[in-house]
Amino acid sequence: MKKPALPRQNGSAQKKSLSSLLAVVLFLVFFILALCANIIAPHDPWERFDPYLPPSVEHWLGTNDLGHDILSELIYGSRVSLLVGLGAAVLATAIGLCVGLFAGYYKGVTDEILMGITDVFLMIPRIPLIILLAAFLKPSFWIIALVIGFLWWTSTARVVRSKSLQVSEMNFVLSSKCLGFSDKHIIFTDIFPNIIQIVIPKFMLTVAAAMITEASLSFLGLGDPSMKSWGMMINFAFTKGGLINALWWWFIPPGLCIMFFVYSVVLLGYSLEEKEQAVLGIS
Amino acid sequence: MRFLNQASQILGKKPFKKIFILICLLILIPILRSGPRVGYGIAKNQNNRILRIGTSGRVRSANIFLDSYISVFAQLSNPSLMKMTPDGRIVGQIAKDIHISSDYMRWEFHIQEDLYWSDGELVTPEDVKFTIEYIRDRSPVAGWMKDTIDTVSISDEKAVILQLKRPYTRLDVEMATHRLLPKHIWQSIDTPMQYTNPGENVGCGPFFIQKIDLNRGVILFAQNPFWKGPKPKIDAIEVHIYQNIDVLSLALDKGEIDVFYNYASSYPYQNLKKIRANSRFDFIEKLSTGLIFLGLNLGKAPMSDLRFREALSFAIDYGEIIKLDSLGYGKIPNRGFLPPTIEHYKDTTPLEYNPEKAKQILDDSGYGDHNGDGIREGHDGKNLALTLLVRPVHARLAELIQDYLRSVGVKTTTKSVDTSTWINLKDRYRYDLTIARTTPWGMIMHAGWATGYFDSRRTGEGVLHNIDDPKFFKLCDDLLSTRNKEKLRDFAFQVQDYYNGQLPAIPLYWNVFVTPFHTKFQGWLTNPLYGIFNIDNFLNIEPAQK
Amino acid sequence: MKKIARYLLALFIIISINFFIPRLMPGDPITNLMGEDYIVSQESIDALKAELGLDKPLLVQYVTYWGDVIRLDLGHSFHFHTEVSQIIASKLFWTTALVGLSILFGTLFGAILGALSGWGKNDPKNKTLTTFFLWIYCTPPFFLSLVVLYVFAFKIGIFPLRGFYETGTFTDIAKHFFLPVLVLSLSLASRNYMIMRGSIIQEKGKLYILYARAKGLLNRGILFRHAFKNASLPLITLVALDIGFIISGALFVEIVFSMNGMGTLIFDALLARDYPVLQGIFLIITIMVVVANFLADIVYGIIDPRVREQR
Repeated sequence: MKKPALPRQNGSAQKKSLSSLLAVVLFLVFFILALCANIIAPHDPWERFDPYLPPSVEHWLGTNDLGHDILSELIYGSRVSLLVGLGAAVLATAIGLCVGLFAGYYKGVTDEILMGITDVFLMIPRIPLIILLAAFLKPSFWIIALVIGFLWWTSTARVVRSKSLQVSEMNFVLSSKCLGFSDKHIIFTDIFPNIIQIVIPKFMLTVAAAMITEASLSFLGLGDPSMKSWGMMINFAFTKGGLINALWWWFIPPGLCIMFFVYSVVLLGYSLEEKEQAVLGIS
Repeated sequence: MRFLNQASQILGKKPFKKIFILICLLILIPILRSGPRVGYGIAKNQNNRILRIGTSGRVRSANIFLDSYISVFAQLSNPSLMKMTPDGRIVGQIAKDIHISSDYMRWEFHIQEDLYWSDGELVTPEDVKFTIEYIRDRSPVAGWMKDTIDTVSISDEKAVILQLKRPYTRLDVEMATHRLLPKHIWQSIDTPMQYTNPGENVGCGPFFIQKIDLNRGVILFAQNPFWKGPKPKIDAIEVHIYQNIDVLSLALDKGEIDVFYNYASSYPYQNLKKIRANSRFDFIEKLSTGLIFLGLNLGKAPMSDLRFREALSFAIDYGEIIKLDSLGYGKIPNRGFLPPTIEHYKDTTPLEYNPEKAKQILDDSGYGDHNGDGIREGHDGKNLALTLLVRPVHARLAELIQDYLRSVGVKTTTKSVDTSTWINLKDRYRYDLTIARTTPWGMIMHAGWATGYFDSRRTGEGVLHNIDDPKFFKLCDDLLSTRNKEKLRDFAFQVQDYYNGQLPAIPLYWNVFVTPFHTKFQGWLTNPLYGIFNIDNFLNIEPAQK
Repeated sequence: MKKIARYLLALFIIISINFFIPRLMPGDPITNLMGEDYIVSQESIDALKAELGLDKPLLVQYVTYWGDVIRLDLGHSFHFHTEVSQIIASKLFWTTALVGLSILFGTLFGAILGALSGWGKNDPKNKTLTTFFLWIYCTPPFFLSLVVLYVFAFKIGIFPLRGFYETGTFTDIAKHFFLPVLVLSLSLASRNYMIMRGSIIQEKGKLYILYARAKGLLNRGILFRHAFKNASLPLITLVALDIGFIISGALFVEIVFSMNGMGTLIFDALLARDYPVLQGIFLIITIMVVVANFLADIVYGIIDPRVREQR
């Protein structure tokens, strides 16, 4: 790719870093919440108080239908939600990365086969299939993460492939080849570092997609009822009368948490993408 | 979008985002907290001679013969031979009286003579004969008829005579659930499995189905112009189908529908508080004949051990379940399983929450925790780890049960699956514990007194068929052998004693069914089988006087 | 040619998956046929299974299935008591209307606003727009639907609570469609906006724009004559995929707004293990997605001659 040096847009760099700072802070806050849930949460989320309590000093966000403290549920919920999101995204990115790298490096028949598989996965009706699998397998959050990860790798694979096609034509890769380095060596030491920049933003977007999918599945009642995730909280808020009784402190916060976390992840992804473009000279 | 831009310019640059979110929240919160407003749909609802019923049953097809949801509603247009009275007796509906031979081999139904189909044709014994034969030959749920009914004929006195292959005492009960079909329409329909009729369905009740519009989600009933019985005081009935119970509740609160009805269900307890605050609504509260119970896989250890089952029954906090799962609309059940609303109820020992006693029983009967990891071991020396198989509707109950059992040292894993999977696993006995419910019909099916749920000689979609004790089989056969009131009472007591002694299932609570209705209609009648959805009710209710 | 062969192969595999996955699930179409308190005798179960061909070995069923697919015979459903093609046709009409409108609005507004925002300066107006769409993008569609339904249909009460129509007049249908179309369009627009904005920013940096600028074209003129065309390439692929997926993706909106469309049909058929309906729906979706992708490839070739040479 040609790298034309262009004038940067005025004053946007500073603001951009401000919003990416916000994203990092949000992300870290959720991460710490998940990590130290047992320290931060005011109560054990499984402890039963009186049900349907409105917000009070003791219970900032009230209690749910079983009398669980909603704030503590929310804090513990970050664990499962983040795990599902990150787990699914790690899996999806790993698959996408491998498929894309190999297809882009080896080209020819390998490329044809791998991209053929990608096409199939891209065109499978995803939502019905995921509902089907979630209903079929025991709905534990690991399974859900696995299923989402297994179906969400296609766009990463495509991006990685086209990038590695480009990179593998570059001089330093060609010279490595001439020097007789093994394919494995070239793929992982020469091409991979050049691709990581575009993989990370993709990874972030996959986290977002996975979290939204988990929440949606839970909403349909296909989640794991024995785990507390934000999606499950919304599900129970709606099946147990949160909406009808206008208990907004029950169903709005988990929704907001999903939104905020996804927001932070997406923003991080975009700012990384833009940083990469800045490196390439595109503002 | 332009509004946003202008707003952003007015508010300035940087803080805009936060202010915007803040404003959104400020607008949202009062909206969320305020009550419903009068709006869409209210204007059309001034007519108080049309009764609108809201349901959340998933009606799938416009087939009154085979769709199980529509067939509940179709009892209004296509009544059954028999019906259940508000106090739970089975009496004639289309049949005005019945004669049963003393060996229960010959049943004679005499038919009402002044019934007309909505197209003007007289309802004849031929229609009844046709219907029974049609059900026998073509309905997948009436397999029992094939090996029970030998011939159907019509006597000189125009009575329909059923000659049976074996003595059958409960034919009248069965006949309360099958709908009468007009012979002149249905005789040409060879494959009911592939038949739908979204338009007018000819019926002979006080109302007939005018239209089944599933895209719109309504079933419309109009008055049968040829109905000769007492004239209904309402002009039409509309059944509105909602996919989502909360939206149904909102519609009810807004006055778009007048009453809630789901077969064998209460209005969701958690939605009641809201509708109770609405002064236009009143409530029917009846202890249901159905209940929610913990089913046990009796073929597997340790559930096969009565002592273990006893211990389980003491480990469960019934009071808390009633408080949390039924929000107080339940009663602590007896060990005899059946609720007091059932005929020939026997008052057995109430179930009791006593975790210390549960632990004591477990210790005494060889389920001690010998390796000290907090989980008791079974007789085989392995940790007691049980699978609790549930459907998503019972997720919260499962959570509670899991917690109760954990605190007496029994580990359970909840497996939440959809209904088809549940049926599949349950039929193959791939569970240890499960949560299920009984329906009013389920309580009287088979030999009655909930035997249909436990008798392992027969199966079905919602039943456990987990008892294969010859003693229990004999009790079922005894119940099936007689219509003598004294004898039936005696056998019914014995069945309840059996449940009391053996605990084949642990009832969790007897639930109260609550039905909210708009006070612009009065004179509601319910029966234990179908709640408010019965002909007597729809002939009785009338617009309230203002 | 190669491309066509690959599509056919993909089609073959996906249609096979459509056959096997439902059959791997526990239970079958008869399991949950009549509701919880009915007893279906073993005899009736066997008869029904034979009618559906479920008594034969899986491989025979598979061959029969392909025969049906090729003849486009979708069979009939035990749960809906109708020909599968008829059920799908009646639902497809409404869902296509719902989804078609949403894709139209979502793509149009998303792409144009995204292009303008990417092209323009990073001023508060654009930042607000971006933030707005970013938030929509981060909201699970079902959550958005619920909030919108609650606020507009219940609290404010200016829109109906459920369904495709009540009386069937134009204004009535429009009122019923407004909220679901709004939610779907917004969530589609948010994604399209982000993508369009991103690719316009990239295009902006490319050299040929400088040439165009040097040629003296007006700013907006460059945007729509050059940059927009190229930047819309990734969008075309996505919209092609949307056309298939949105039918299932509309599921959440349909459930919240109680609409009896394709989404709820899929869900019902799944829970009932209604093989013929599931196969029918998946077949339709698959064909639509594959055809849409194929068309997208052609459009790609027309818009961008480089692609034609490459492939």
